[in-house]
Amino acid sequence: MARPRKGDTVVIAGTRKGLFVLTSKDRRTWQSRGPFFAGDTVRHAILDPQDGKTIYAAVTSEHWGAVVARSTDFGATWKHGDEGPRFSKESGLSVTRIWQMQAGVEGDLYVGTEPAGLFRSTDQGETWSSVDALNYFPGRDKWPAGGGGLCLHTIVPYPREPKRMLIGISSAGIFGTSDAGASWRNMDAGIRDFTPGGTCKETSTTCVHKMARDPKNPAIVYQQNHIGVYRRARGEDAWTRIEKGLPMNPAYDAPFGFPMIAHPHDGGTAYVAPLAGDGNRVMPGGKMAIYRTTNGGKSWAKLTKGLPQRDAWFTVLRDAMRADTNDPAGIYTGTTTGQIYASRDDGNSWKLLADHLPQVQCVETGVVGGA
Amino acid sequence: MVNESPRIHVTLPSALREYARGRDSVDVSAATLAEVIGHLAAEFPGLGYRILDDQGRLRRFVNAYVNDEPVSHLTPQEVRLREGDSVHILPSVAGG
Repeated sequence: MARPRKGDTVVIAGTRKGLFVLTSKDRRTWQSRGPFFAGDTVRHAILDPQDGKTIYAAVTSEHWGAVVARSTDFGATWKHGDEGPRFSKESGLSVTRIWQMQAGVEGDLYVGTEPAGLFRSTDQGETWSSVDALNYFPGRDKWPAGGGGLCLHTIVPYPREPKRMLIGISSAGIFGTSDAGASWRNMDAGIRDFTPGGTCKETSTTCVHKMARDPKNPAIVYQQNHIGVYRRARGEDAWTRIEKGLPMNPAYDAPFGFPMIAHPHDGGTAYVAPLAGDGNRVMPGGKMAIYRTTNGGKSWAKLTKGLPQRDAWFTVLRDAMRADTNDPAGIYTGTTTGQIYASRDDGNSWKLLADHLPQVQCVETGVVGGA
Repeated sequence: MVNESPRIHVTLPSALREYARGRDSVDVSAATLAEVIGHLAAEFPGLGYRILDDQGRLRRFVNAYVNDEPVSHLTPQEVRLREGDSVHILPSVAGG
């Protein structure tokens, strides 16, 4: 198999049973490698955006624990540290799974775990240090677990400002730091609560599902929550609903879904994958649709060209949709029934890229050699 | 100084042999299961992490047996060993 070259597009699919790496020169024909870590769950994997060469995979064995493995040859060989991230003895907590991984803006690496924890590595995942101010945040003993467990599943660094970061925990909510993790504050105001007409306070616990920064103005963040879709800009005191055109979950009169991604270049452009509802986590009516806003959430348009319009009884999980950095952008969406659909034109049309994979946990993309 | 700890034969499951330089069994001197795992961790970096959680307990789906008797319900510190005992580390039948 030909080794990927600089400029090739990489799509990484972490699944319930191993990791797959797909590469392409033109995004029309693809080469597939894997599965790697057969039998183990890869909830998240990324291509290092800085070198465009190192793949980091969060590998969870339900028997033998969770580690971060890395490869610099697109999966031919892997290395990992002797241990994964660990809580302190005093905490009484033990890491069972790694849910999320993100490159920091200083060449560092962060992971989010279950039970909810944030850990940082400065040596490519060989060793980990706990972000104690978050991991032992006052009141964490009262954090409610989400359906997938009490997990830290979203890490959103701030470009060029390494001291700033947002994280999301199901279902403790959203936390932000502006001092490199030394202190954190809740950021949940404006999100609906589970009572009719109710709205959360800044310190409420909410079930955030995913967040993404606007590519032009990273001070703007878009959020898919268990109850609704929102945006909030730095300096604002609450989240604002942005739901015009999205299908609503009748249980809460709010859109339900998991992913939220931003376009790589176009400010105000983001994508979601709404589901019928939290009690029925499938594409509405069995018809697959991705929704796109191009105006910062003022309205959403339905994208279906090339997507299955019957028998699409699957979920798109929170990390199973990503955009590459090409122009026009590629959008990739993985399903719990093992398909990956890909668009080469900003989501206007789609084709089946992979089928019969194990349940797709995450899809990540990148460009060989960096963007 | 005479080492008075009992000699213990430890059998590893196939999934852990890659962390034990391919060995399927190891002999150690240890008075408790915790000491057994401590020796394994010292000799084979990373092996202890695979067996014990952050609190030093057997991972949820890891089982240990002493002379074919299950001891996973005890903490590794509570499992006392005698000369000639055999310890088996096994994954539980779990998952899908």
